[in-house]
Amino acid sequence: MAELVKATPPEDVSQWKDVMVYCETFQNKLTKAAQEMIGRGRVMADKTKTKLIGVVIGSDISDTAKEAGYYGCDRVIAFQSSAFDMYKSRPFTDNLTAAVKEAKPNILIVPGTHNGRDLAARTAIRVQSGLTADCMEIDVEEDTGILIARRPDYGDSTMSEIRCEKHRPQMATSRPGTFEVPPRDDKRKFKVDLREVKVKKGQIKEEILSFKPRSGEDISIAKVVVAGGLGMGKPEGLKLLEELANELGGVVGVSRPIADLGWISRSHQVGQTGITVRPNLYIAAGISGKPQHMVGMANSKLIVSINTDPDAEMNKNADYVIVDDLYNVIPALIEEIRKRKGAENVEVAPKKKKKA
Amino acid sequence: MALELVVITKIVPDGSEVFIDPVNLTLNRSLATNVINPADENALELALQVKARYGGRITVLSMTPPFAIPYLEECVGRGADRAILLSDKAVAGSDTYPTSLAIAAAIKHIGKVDIVFAGEKTSDSSTGHVGPGVAEFLDAELASYVSSVEYDDGYVIATREFEEGTEVVRIPTPAVVTVLTNSNNPRKASLRRKIDAIRQGVIVWDLKEVGLPPDAVGLRNSPTIVKRMIPFPRRDRKGEKITTDNIAKLVDVFEQNKLIKGGE
Ligand SMILES: Cc1cc2nc3c(=O)[nH]c(=O)nc-3n(C[C@H](O)[C@H](O)[C@H](O)COP(=O)(O)OP(=O)(O)OC[C@H]3O[C@@H](n4cnc5c(N)ncnc54)[C@H](O)[C@@H]3O)c2cc1C
Ligand SMILES: Cc1cc2nc3c(=O)[nH]c(=O)nc-3n(C[C@H](O)[C@H](O)[C@H](O)COP(=O)(O)OP(=O)(O)OC[C@H]3O[C@@H](n4cnc5c(N)ncnc54)[C@H](O)[C@@H]3O)c2cc1C
Repeated sequence: MAELVKATPPEDVSQWKDVMVYCETFQNKLTKAAQEMIGRGRVMADKTKTKLIGVVIGSDISDTAKEAGYYGCDRVIAFQSSAFDMYKSRPFTDNLTAAVKEAKPNILIVPGTHNGRDLAARTAIRVQSGLTADCMEIDVEEDTGILIARRPDYGDSTMSEIRCEKHRPQMATSRPGTFEVPPRDDKRKFKVDLREVKVKKGQIKEEILSFKPRSGEDISIAKVVVAGGLGMGKPEGLKLLEELANELGGVVGVSRPIADLGWISRSHQVGQTGITVRPNLYIAAGISGKPQHMVGMANSKLIVSINTDPDAEMNKNADYVIVDDLYNVIPALIEEIRKRKGAENVEVAPKKKKKA
Repeated sequence: MALELVVITKIVPDGSEVFIDPVNLTLNRSLATNVINPADENALELALQVKARYGGRITVLSMTPPFAIPYLEECVGRGADRAILLSDKAVAGSDTYPTSLAIAAAIKHIGKVDIVFAGEKTSDSSTGHVGPGVAEFLDAELASYVSSVEYDDGYVIATREFEEGTEVVRIPTPAVVTVLTNSNNPRKASLRRKIDAIRQGVIVWDLKEVGLPPDAVGLRNSPTIVKRMIPFPRRDRKGEKITTDNIAKLVDVFEQNKLIKGGE
């Protein structure tokens, strides 16, 4: 619980030194988002010559805590209770807050998943500090230890740099997919501090009645995303993209106007108010490349832009550019891919012939 | 016993007509038309459904300058019972800490509240901090990223969505729920109700009314500051031109990158 008071900064910020990362788990496994944030935290701890402290909360986490070490934490504080089998907002906030008050980190980063954002927002109020949401970049000034957090804004070509100079810890979240997963090294040295948390009966007021795993595609972890924008002109364009996506074992993404039009569900929208993706291949067909779209896919490994406008902003950020009508390009692309697949497989199973 | 329901809402600039003032680093609203934050429309709709099934009173609360009044009247026109505008010059420039603080103070001033409905996030700065922040200041339970709720004798049963799946969680009131964008179809205001809403007017409170000193809020009492704006980062990509006639070249690249697996 937080009193209705303003945020008061600590008197001596120099006591707040290390970097802390909340190592999100699901069913007692580190999430990919957590691994990415550990990687980012490691970079900042090295830059400031401080320690990276991981916080793990779960119901069976002695191995998970070690994983946090293998990915880069120097010290792992693990809060374990059978009540923590699923994320619960208040008790998780209580434990993360306790870790902050004890370890006094200079920086605290949290994966920007739904549960992570819930947790970070509450914890920021508890510890009376500042939280920057959805950062595309998180870095630290080596000499001052000041966190530099950059997030998209509403401008057409800029992002905002947000700082929290007086309050500690300086907090930030980033969406899954923003940073790379660091290498896992099971030779790394680290300390695990596993704590059994006693939860009294009736103390936790949240009760999870049921859970259903996600069905359907999760575009945030897809290896290939074939995305379409207003350049498609009509909903049928999505069928074409889907055909290409199927050939590449990928999923369909869209720019916001397409989701606004209701041609496909919002869960396919890439960008600032949609999902962040980091696939091996991102094909942008008929998407102009506005910053609010770019923030959701700029970290893709390979970007292909298909656009009738040679000067489209997307073309300047693509590895390969095809200046042509997507209704010419995509069928040709599908045909060529099928041809290759067919050729590889002639002996096994002569695939259905390509269509013109 | 009627439920006391509150919907918090921010009036945001509409879609693409948004500008940031390069001098003050604040949103320049004068150039854009405004709308009720999209997720808040879903939050209001959910509150209206709860009221229809379980009874109660809905107060819409917004901390904004008075330009928001017509939008709050729209909310009343859709079925809310009243609207409160918390308007005070001192809150200008507040980040999500003092914003949550002031909204929580206003909710406390309303009295005993059962459920607070917020949008999951706004469409402009979209931090998603304010719902959880208000829960924290009210010492209320929280269910975030919710698509539907039921009420059962002092408990809220909420369906939450997150990356791994969907859960149903039960929390006692007082509770804050943050509602997912597009999770329902918000009704429109009827003309008759809209006229009534305009007649009824909006209640205006300032900080003093809700018991907060001016030095608890505003830019100077915000932990975060927007330091500067910097150009959007561009990775160096070579932008190699390929033509449709020569599409095989692109497929070569796909093959080199192992993006094409043999036919299944
Ligand atoms: C470019 C830029 C970046 C910013 N980044 C950050 C940041 O990273 N961290 C930070 O702490 N602050 C940040 N701010 C400040 C933040 O925009 C304000 O505090 C804002 O009014 C509330 O945040 P939000 O729009 O993100 O609301 P959200 O937390 O996304 O909104 C959630 C719910 O709370 C409601 N709500 C929000 N504000 C009000 C209100 N005034 N009255 C009634 N209901 C409301 C919404 O309508 C919605 O239902 C930023 C401001 C700018 C200009
Ligand atoms: C606060 C805020 C948040 C936002 N969040 C998002 C977000 O999350 N995701 C998002 O995508 N947008 C978002 N937007 C909207 C964004 O600013 C752009 O408006 C949007 O991305 C444009 O979509 P588009 O590229 O599909 O359309 P357009 O900009 O209209 O581009 C269409 C492109 O298609 C090309 N084209 C036309 N015909 C053809 C053809 N036959 N073949 C090939 N190319 C063709 C055109 O040359 C053009 O480049 C947001 C905006 C704001 C203000």
